[in-house]
Amino acid sequence: MGKLGFVKILVIAAEAGRVTRKYPYEPPLVSSDFRGKIEIDETKCIGCGSCVLACPPNALVMSDEGEGYRVLKYFVGRCIFCWRCIDVCPVDAIKGTREFELATDNVEDLDEAVIHKRASCTECNGLYSTVKQKAYVMEKAPITENYVDKCPECRRNKLLRAFEKRRGGESLE
Amino acid sequence: MSRFLKKSIWIFHLNTGSCNACDIEILDVLTPFFDAERFGVKLVVSPRHADAILMTGPVTIESLPKVVNAIEAVPRPRILIAMGSCGVGGGIWHDTYSTIGGVRELLKILEKRGIVVDHVYYIPGCPIRPEAIIYAIGLIKGLVKKKAKMKVKTAE
Repeated sequence: MGKLGFVKILVIAAEAGRVTRKYPYEPPLVSSDFRGKIEIDETKCIGCGSCVLACPPNALVMSDEGEGYRVLKYFVGRCIFCWRCIDVCPVDAIKGTREFELATDNVEDLDEAVIHKRASCTECNGLYSTVKQKAYVMEKAPITENYVDKCPECRRNKLLRAFEKRRGGESLE
Repeated sequence: MSRFLKKSIWIFHLNTGSCNACDIEILDVLTPFFDAERFGVKLVVSPRHADAILMTGPVTIESLPKVVNAIEAVPRPRILIAMGSCGVGGGIWHDTYSTIGGVRELLKILEKRGIVVDHVYYIPGCPIRPEAIIYAIGLIKGLVKKKAKMKVKTAE
């Protein structure tokens, strides 16, 4: 490069033109198959927990809190955006979005929660499953209300008692 | 204009055991296509020259002493930017034996040792998009509005 070396560079730059994106002031380059944050529809979610089992980094966690509440928690900061939860959701309550502008200065902004009411057993008043999951099972399977309204333990005891009666044995009680 | 940084943000890139996907996105941001230098962002080679630390990876046990030393070397006010799912929450390594699981655990350790971090920023994504980094820089400079918000929903 001599004294006029920079002219060559100017010519090359003029041929290429301006390539820099003006991003914060223009829409981002997000393609249609980009996977972003998930959105949980609380009106559809039944609290079955299949998304929790499918989630590889445990970004979705389910826990029983307080008196008769089951909470589905979603921490975006740990999510790897694999969208497996969307594939396994039986009621299509989880939807994928193209949202990626999640930067924040407060870590609590990344939390999301769906609060479910737990069902109570008619026999022992114990808590089990959720009210909405019970309704979902009633709708999908030909099971009597009498059977679904009991917690798994009471259901098992009832079945055992029925067997004993049939075989002529004595009841547990 | 920035709320607490009056001049350009100089950044020290700190890899704490990441898979290098986030690091490649940082390189992407510095190319002419996204050009983070529009906002005065520049990578520096020493934490002593830096205003902010750009941290990737879930902080492995092996890298922890070096990470603490690097953060201690940054002059105040210190900014720590945790990048990617691993940096923010530990990612898929959040409960493994060889990592401490992200920036939240790191901040507890720094607090114990008496090292103050003035501002912490979180950028989730796996890997983060180059635009997400530019968005975070815009957030620090006060150019864009924060979109993330905690949501608590009740199922009827």
